[in-house]
Amino acid sequence: MAFPLPRGITPPEIAFLAEMEQVNIVPRQRLEGLELLGGPVEPLLPPRRATLPLWLALLLKRQRRANIVPPSWLHPEALSLILEIETQHSDYQNAFSPPPPLPGQPSVRDRETQQTPVAMPRSTQDGERYYASPPFLPQNVARDYIPPGEPPSLPYHWLEVGNVLLDAASDDLVDPDQTRRLLKELREVRMAKFRAGTDVLDAAAIGGGGVALTGVGAMEIGEGRGFVTGVVDGLRKIGASKEQARREQMAEDMANGGYGATQEDDDEMEF
Amino acid sequence: MSYYDVDSILTDAQKLPCTFELEVPGLGILEGNPGEDIKAGTRIDLPLWLGEMLSIGARLGTSRLVSLDLPPALSERVMNALKADPRTIDLRALAPHFYNLSERILELFEEEEMVDVLSNTFRKRAAEITDHAHNPRGAMGDGVEFLRGLDETERQLFRVAHDSAKQMRIWSGESKKPKT
Repeated sequence: MAFPLPRGITPPEIAFLAEMEQVNIVPRQRLEGLELLGGPVEPLLPPRRATLPLWLALLLKRQRRANIVPPSWLHPEALSLILEIETQHSDYQNAFSPPPPLPGQPSVRDRETQQTPVAMPRSTQDGERYYASPPFLPQNVARDYIPPGEPPSLPYHWLEVGNVLLDAASDDLVDPDQTRRLLKELREVRMAKFRAGTDVLDAAAIGGGGVALTGVGAMEIGEGRGFVTGVVDGLRKIGASKEQARREQMAEDMANGGYGATQEDDDEMEF
Repeated sequence: MSYYDVDSILTDAQKLPCTFELEVPGLGILEGNPGEDIKAGTRIDLPLWLGEMLSIGARLGTSRLVSLDLPPALSERVMNALKADPRTIDLRALAPHFYNLSERILELFEEEEMVDVLSNTFRKRAAEITDHAHNPRGAMGDGVEFLRGLDETERQLFRVAHDSAKQMRIWSGESKKPKT
């Protein structure tokens, strides 16, 4: 029997990766700083908020040693706003709601004010400068100050973090039932869009075009992977003979002098 | 397509209408009369692999033994039906490995239009397949006719889409984990 798992990674594996995301907690007990492989963890002092990887936060939560502060986007208000963007906004009829801005990328607000955003480099212990990327970007932490005009956005691991927090820490969330319902609705809306994207896949297989996956989460990509690659592969096989003919045509053109010759022809035409 | 791919072997066995251009002594067995000769101009359905080999003489410069025709599954009539509505055609009844067969045929014939019709068909049907895979309506639902008419490639697509949706449901706790 062949390898029993499908190609790509399975949902539990994606959820495992999502546990590297940083979240905020309010500890209930003291804990000295830990030196973990993923980086040092600051010492926990009870009333002060700390930023930890999700897996550690879940562990402390299960032992009732901490409360998790839900990320700013995991809030009924923010979620219903995103849902509204997904369903009502005319710009996003066929696209996904925009992901959180990366450092160095202009946010919606910056585009209006013509400011060039500057990414803040950080330094490693050896003094080398680097730019952080997910999961080391604080996309899932609770933000006290949200700049006005910045719409809430779903981070890359939204579905995983949302589900895990609903399972393990529903008492820390604002209105968990409403949140759960909104997450489910968002997922359905976005999956429908993902499926509608099959129609454009043809252009991607035969040349040119493509499907914009900006803002699609890890779990959604994982779910669609098998099907989408199957469709593209099927289209490639059907179009193989056409592609072959096109290549031969191109090779012929090249052999006949390629660009240079055609340009000369053009020149002669003018005279 | 690997050497051991069962689907590829089965595709090879699909029949292709061939017309003999030469008289072949003693090959009457193909026609069902062992020991007889095959006359020039006889039309026989040969498996894809045999027809392909016999018709290849043309490329070597010698006169070829047989000339190939399009199989009934890819005839003009079917193409017109696919152009009209790809979703109502029972591809499985036409050929169990419809797309694999057409892929091989397109290697042998130059049919620009057929490529367009087929890729359009595949795309339209793929969209339908994923809808069915994500919202299963049971064995008696309204999609049963369509799902029964899927060819082998499409069945695999359906399976992949259905499995990934199922895995997601298991992960998010909406359905129970199967007992292993």
